[in-house]
Amino acid sequence: MSHLLEIKDLHVTYRGDEAKVYAVNGLDLTLDSGQTLGLVGETGAGKTTTALSIMRLLPERIGIIEKGQITLDGYDITQASDADMRVLRGSLVSMIFQDPMTSLNPIRRVGEQVAEVLELHQKNLSKEDIDKKVDEIFQLVGLPVERKIEYPHQFSGGMRQRIVIAIALACQPKLLLADEPTTALDVTIQAQVLDLMQELKEKLDTATILITHDLGVVAETCDQVAIMYAGEIIEIGTAEDIFEGKDHHPYTTGLFGSIPDLSKKERRLHPIEGMMPDPTNLPSGCKFHTRCPHATAICQQQEPPFIKNGTQGICCHLFADAAGNRGSQEDK
Amino acid sequence: MGNANTATVSASNQVKKNSQFKAIVKRYVKNKLAVFGLFLFIVLVVLALGAELFVDYDADAITQNMQIRLTPPNSEHIFGTDHYGRDVFARVLFGGRISLLVGTVTILASLTCGSIIGATAGYYGGKVDNILMRIMDVFLAIPSILLAISIVAALGNGMINLMIALSVSATPRFARIVRSSILTVKGQEFIEAAKAYGCHNVKIISYHILPNSIGPIIVQATLSMASTILMISSLSFVGLGLPSSIPEWGSMLSEAKEFMRYDPYLIVFPGIAIVLAVMAFNLIGDGLRDALDPKLRN
Repeated sequence: MSHLLEIKDLHVTYRGDEAKVYAVNGLDLTLDSGQTLGLVGETGAGKTTTALSIMRLLPERIGIIEKGQITLDGYDITQASDADMRVLRGSLVSMIFQDPMTSLNPIRRVGEQVAEVLELHQKNLSKEDIDKKVDEIFQLVGLPVERKIEYPHQFSGGMRQRIVIAIALACQPKLLLADEPTTALDVTIQAQVLDLMQELKEKLDTATILITHDLGVVAETCDQVAIMYAGEIIEIGTAEDIFEGKDHHPYTTGLFGSIPDLSKKERRLHPIEGMMPDPTNLPSGCKFHTRCPHATAICQQQEPPFIKNGTQGICCHLFADAAGNRGSQEDK
Repeated sequence: MGNANTATVSASNQVKKNSQFKAIVKRYVKNKLAVFGLFLFIVLVVLALGAELFVDYDADAITQNMQIRLTPPNSEHIFGTDHYGRDVFARVLFGGRISLLVGTVTILASLTCGSIIGATAGYYGGKVDNILMRIMDVFLAIPSILLAISIVAALGNGMINLMIALSVSATPRFARIVRSSILTVKGQEFIEAAKAYGCHNVKIISYHILPNSIGPIIVQATLSMASTILMISSLSFVGLGLPSSIPEWGSMLSEAKEFMRYDPYLIVFPGIAIVLAVMAFNLIGDGLRDALDPKLRN
C-alpha cells in the first residue's frame, strides 16, 4: 500500500556563520490521503522546517536536506528539479502561512491573486473559466464574491485567512501544509477558520498537516498526532492515543501537564523544566534526557528505540523493556 | 438564491470594467496636482512638437543675426534675442524637443537597465549580487559627468551616443535603489507564499516584487530628470554634446552665463522651461506613486 506522503529518515541542517544547526534529525512520517496530521512541538522543534522541506522551500544555500527521502504521491521530492517543484507546488501540495496579514500581496486585488494560481497551474483554462472558478472558490471558502475586486487591506484577519486558504486550495492539491494557520487570529475566528478547513478537507479529500502549538486545536481537528522534539518525532499516534492513551513519552506528559486545568484552583503553571537543547550542539543519546524527570544512565548514552504499540509509537527507553515482550521493536 | 446569482454576475462584469489600469487612472485623476503636472507636460510637449507653427527653425533659431543681438524682450521677439541675434523664444521651443526627448529616453533607459540589474542582484543575492553591485560601484565611483564624457569621447558625438552616455552614467544609481527596495520586499511573507503556490522567479520579480517597490524608484526617476537635462548642457559645454548652434535648454543656460549680469532674460527663459519640465515630472511621479498604491486611494 502506498501512502500519499512518505518521509524517510529526513535530516535537515541550517548552515549558520559559525555552527551547523541540526533542525531535523531522522524524521519518519507517513500520511494517507484525506487524513489530518497534527504536528505539535515547541518553537524550534523543527515543525516548520519539516513543512518547508516537503515544499522544498528551505532558505537557499542555508537550509540543506542532508539525508533522507520525501515521496509525495509517487514523486521523489528530494530529487525533483526546480522546474518540476514549481509545477508541484500549488497543484499537488500547498502551504498556508501563519500570518494572513502579510501573506497576501498588498497591491493586487484578492480575486487576481486567486486567479493567478489557476493561471499558473491550469493553462488550458480560458479567462472566463478562470473567472468562474474564482467565483466558485470564493463561495466555497465563504467569501462574498463581489468583494474579489477589493484589496487585502480592506479585509479583516479572518477574511484574509479565508483568502489565503482559497489560494492554497484553488487547484485542489492533495496535500495541504498549514503552518500555524490560526495563531495570528483571535479565538472566535480561529474556530471559524478551523471549521472551514475541516469542511473543505471533507469536500475535497485533501490531506492536511497542521502545524501548531495548540493542543486544543489538535484535539478538535486531527486524526493523527505527532509530537516533535529537537527535530525528531518522539511520539506519534491517533488523536485518541495521544489524548486518551495511558502510555506517553515523558515530554508529552510534560506538555499536557503544562496546560492549566480550569477546574482546579491553581496559582502556578507547570512548565517543563529547562530549555530546548541548543540545536547546534545536541545532547547525546535521548535528546530529552537533560530535562526528563525519568532520565537514567542509558538515556545519556543510547538513542532510544522507536517502540510501536498498535497505532501509537513512542521513542523512549522507559518503554523499551515492556516493548521487548510486545515484539515490534525497531532500532534506528 | 436568484439574488446571489445576479450578485455574482454583476460582480464579474464589474471586474472586467474595473480593470487595474482603470482604477489607477481613477486614483490618478483624483490628485489635482498630478493632473496639473500631466497637463504641464503635455503643454510642453505640444509646444515643442508644434514649434513650426509659431516660428521657423532655420530663420529664427539657427541663423545668426548680429544687428539685433541682445535685444531685450519686445513685441517682435517676446523672449528677446541672444548674443548671436537668434530668437530666444524659438530656441526655447525647439530646445524642448532635444531636452525632453533626451531626458525622457535617458530616464527610461537607465530605469529599465537599472531595474533589471538591481532586481537580479537583490533577488538572487549571493555571488550574483556581489558581482553586479561591485561593477555598479565601479561606475558610481567615477563622477557621472566624467563617465559620460569618456563614453561620448569613445563613441563619438551625436544624439544617440549622448543618450547612451547619459543612460550608462545614470544606471548605477537606479540599480542601487531598486536593489535596496527589492531587499525589503523580498523578505516578506507573500513572496514566500507566491513561491509556495508555484510562481516562477521572473514572475515573482516582475509581478510581486517590483510593483511593491515602485515608490522610491519613481522618485529617483523624476529627480534624475533635472540632473539629466543639466548634464546634456555640461556635455555640450565641453564640446562633447550637441553642436552649440543646435538649440537645447541646458546649453542655452550655459551660453547665457556670460551675459547674465546685463541681460538676465537670456538665462531666465530657458531656466523657466527647465523648471517647468522638472516640476511636471515631479508632480507626475508623485501622482503615479500614489495612484499605484491601492492603500492611498482616498
